[in-house]
Amino acid sequence: MPVYRPADRMVLPPVDAEKYQTVCHYCIVGCGYHVYKWPEGRSGGLLPDQNALGVDFTKQVAPLSGDWIAPDHHTVITERDGRRFHIAIVPDKECVVNKGHHSGRGGTLGSSLYRPDGPTHVRLTHPLVYRATEQSPTTWDDAIDLAARVIYGSILRDGNNSIFMKIFDHGGGGGGFENNWAVGKFFFNAVQTINCSIHNRPAYNSEVHASRDMGVPELNFAYVDAELSDTIVLWGANSYETQTNFYLVHMLPNLQGTTVKAKQDARPGEQVGPGRIIVIDPRRTATVVVSERAAGKDRVLHLQLNPGTDIALANAIARVVYERGWHDKDFVANRVEAETVQPFLEQSLQIGKSLDEVLAEAEQITGLSRAQIEQAASWIAETKSDGSRPRSIFLYEKGVIWGMKNYQNIGSIVNLALLTGNFGKPGTGCGRLGGHQEGYVRPGYPGPRPAPYIDDLLSQGQGNVFYVVGCNPAVTTLNAQRMRETLQTRGKLVRDAIDASFGADNATKAQAILDAISQGGLFIIVQDIYPIETARYAHVVFPAAAWGESPITSINGERRLRLYEKFMDPPGIAEPDWKIFGMLAQRIKALAQADGNADIAQRFSGFEWQTAEEVFLEGGQSFADGVKASTERYKGVDYAFLKAAGNNGIQTPVTIVNGQPQGRVRYFENGEPFYTESGKAKMLPTPWPGFPAIVQEQINKYPYFLTNGRNNNWQTFYNDLNIPFHAERVPLSYIEINPQDAQREGIQPGDIVQLYNDYGETTAYAVVSNSVKPGLIFMLFAHPRSTANSLTTPYVDPEVIIPYYKGSAVGLRRLGRLADFDARLTYQPTNFEPVV
Amino acid sequence: EVPLISEVLPYPRIKVATLNDLQSGAFGASYPDQFSPIQILKIGKKVPGGVGPDGDIVAYSGLCTHMGCPMTYDPATKIFVCPCHYSHFDAAADAMLISGPATQHLPRIVLEVEGQDIYAVGAQGLIYGRPHNLSLTEL
Repeated sequence: MPVYRPADRMVLPPVDAEKYQTVCHYCIVGCGYHVYKWPEGRSGGLLPDQNALGVDFTKQVAPLSGDWIAPDHHTVITERDGRRFHIAIVPDKECVVNKGHHSGRGGTLGSSLYRPDGPTHVRLTHPLVYRATEQSPTTWDDAIDLAARVIYGSILRDGNNSIFMKIFDHGGGGGGFENNWAVGKFFFNAVQTINCSIHNRPAYNSEVHASRDMGVPELNFAYVDAELSDTIVLWGANSYETQTNFYLVHMLPNLQGTTVKAKQDARPGEQVGPGRIIVIDPRRTATVVVSERAAGKDRVLHLQLNPGTDIALANAIARVVYERGWHDKDFVANRVEAETVQPFLEQSLQIGKSLDEVLAEAEQITGLSRAQIEQAASWIAETKSDGSRPRSIFLYEKGVIWGMKNYQNIGSIVNLALLTGNFGKPGTGCGRLGGHQEGYVRPGYPGPRPAPYIDDLLSQGQGNVFYVVGCNPAVTTLNAQRMRETLQTRGKLVRDAIDASFGADNATKAQAILDAISQGGLFIIVQDIYPIETARYAHVVFPAAAWGESPITSINGERRLRLYEKFMDPPGIAEPDWKIFGMLAQRIKALAQADGNADIAQRFSGFEWQTAEEVFLEGGQSFADGVKASTERYKGVDYAFLKAAGNNGIQTPVTIVNGQPQGRVRYFENGEPFYTESGKAKMLPTPWPGFPAIVQEQINKYPYFLTNGRNNNWQTFYNDLNIPFHAERVPLSYIEINPQDAQREGIQPGDIVQLYNDYGETTAYAVVSNSVKPGLIFMLFAHPRSTANSLTTPYVDPEVIIPYYKGSAVGLRRLGRLADFDARLTYQPTNFEPVV
Repeated sequence: EVPLISEVLPYPRIKVATLNDLQSGAFGASYPDQFSPIQILKIGKKVPGGVGPDGDIVAYSGLCTHMGCPMTYDPATKIFVCPCHYSHFDAAADAMLISGPATQHLPRIVLEVEGQDIYAVGAQGLIYGRPHNLSLTEL
């Protein structure tokens, strides 16, 4: 006591406050916001003509109006010239994505901003170079020169593939089309390495290869489709917490029946009513509980399957649909490649066996009842009494993406959507929900598929340079304890070499570093906005600009492209990622020219960008023309167009019609072909594969199956640890443990526990909750103070090198209590069902 | 005794309940004006900041800090629930957000007990819908 409480008063933006348009940079949903900026010491008045919002603050602001400025919407910033400004970041009521709503993430955008006199002062402000036992601030020229010399020397001596990288590929904060293009151009065109990996996984790959192989770009729906569907299928997703405003603003009204009129308008002549939702999750999440309370239990079906058994469930539902004749026969005949149907029927639906046999097997694998499986099939596909087909939208996320077998997990869900014809009409679609936003534009990745598993290679001593940007593998990669050990031991060889060469110039140090690398050392570069855990091991740290400190563009989960304006300076001398890669490439080019190496000088040319928009436009030129435009295609759009389009932007892919950029609401309307050679979708055989041996070994050895997931905090808490409201609430990872298991282990809510298996150990505090069945433990993912990924195995789906983050097993041991936690925290389950 | 408010707005001192009113565990009133509903609670165990003979009486704003919907309070679980977007607050833990889209715990209403009477004397945190807690009463 007391927990963090803001002041009891606020300032208001005056009428003449500067106003910017932007989009929250956190989750995939991408809610629109307005940023107000005005000099410190001033405040607008209470009357509507005295403040920039035009709101009458002499009256209590009405509920749900979206007119209030909450304390965490606000901060005071200091620009590089020392001037101080108030900033207020408030939801945009005109934005069709959020309609004036904010989540717990977007609602704290204000307090996340850099201020030298607040918690966010810990941002990286200057380049750091490891010299003689410490990381010291230095100039850009110095840090860039050392990094450039090592990269250049490594390429010369050991080839392009000696450079390893793990880098963001996302939209929103830290990414955007601008930074993604710069990163891709640097590593693919200039360095030309295949040893690349994407921020949250150990290889360079798609998380939804199966869907793309089947001809289905994964972002094929619009958020409005969740308002117009009969049945929403949420598969491995807890959208109330993690795609909050997609759930609250678009799904919830459908469940509550307030979109029936819109359905009648969009689907004339069809029998429509309030929507239903099927949630497939081994955990009874807040999404399940909230849906039941909002819609009534009879319109919510929670399939609480055994973890890892999604493929068996999807196949069983599809088998029931097929057996009952509820599949869309016209769609399958006209829109699916005929030769892919039979293998699907044989291997996924097991039509060689009786329905009874197949469902008995599915019951045994999934732990669900036949009645539940049949009910799901009915809600998804059973013809209505008026003869019309129900419209279902299939939305999946990390529960299957990071589930047991990524490729077949995704494929089995897309199969179900194809079988039931749920594409190309209002209220339909099948795709991922998304974690972060998207902003992928890059030259082609030069490596093979499947791509190299670079975490494995690094731990085996391969790679000379490990360049990490905008991600935190010490916390978030699979088997993270192994990653930290690799960074520690291989990084130390380089540190020792630098220590031994103190006082030398960069050319001499770079040679000492290269010598240490040949003895097994690893040169580590981290580029980030915070001194993250991975940066502890770095020899060079580059400070990057964050959201609001440089313009970016991104798309959200319904491909809505918008401009996120710059409204403040980056801290210290930090620079946007594209500019850092520009500096580095120019320095390597100069080194190569001085060496007379024309080939490398040429590869590192073309990085002399002056503005973010230059990078955006250059990236846009890389998109091909033609009918089957890639999802993110924005060619033909510039910043001026996006500024005018506001927070509703334009939905990609963009095509130019009569000189005007034109977007699209959803894919596959009016017979639009699927993205295959034939124009027809492919079904995928998805037989139930069983657990991989390496995971089964842990399951056999330890008493609890371990899964994990997010709450409504963002990613690795990189901002949230510096926002008092968030930091204080979740000081450590927590686990959710069933009351029966808690009793057997002697665990009370709030107890500190040690979790361990053959791959690592960590700690957490206990939340006792019926969200999990006995034998299952859920752990909060990616909290840097106690990382769940120390407990994940190195197993990846060998077809696509995607980790099985959601499946491991652990033992646990009670360690005691922390008195300050008891004084400050609530241990109530976040699914809102107290254990009494 | 540590003061609960450092820079004090001119909060009114208003009698909001008597000890007798709290027999069911919760009592509704308003503070600092009629537009700001509050819930005065008897938690049943000594809690941080609790007043009264058992150190277990606390009060919080009854408006959700997300979008201002009036909340319901369940004395059995000691949890506030917003019916609009389901933010939940744990009254036994200083009205801390359990989960939901809100970005502020419920503002605490500072209480004093005088004999049988319970007085509200201030508020910590910003009450929904106002740029400061007394903006309405200043007019």
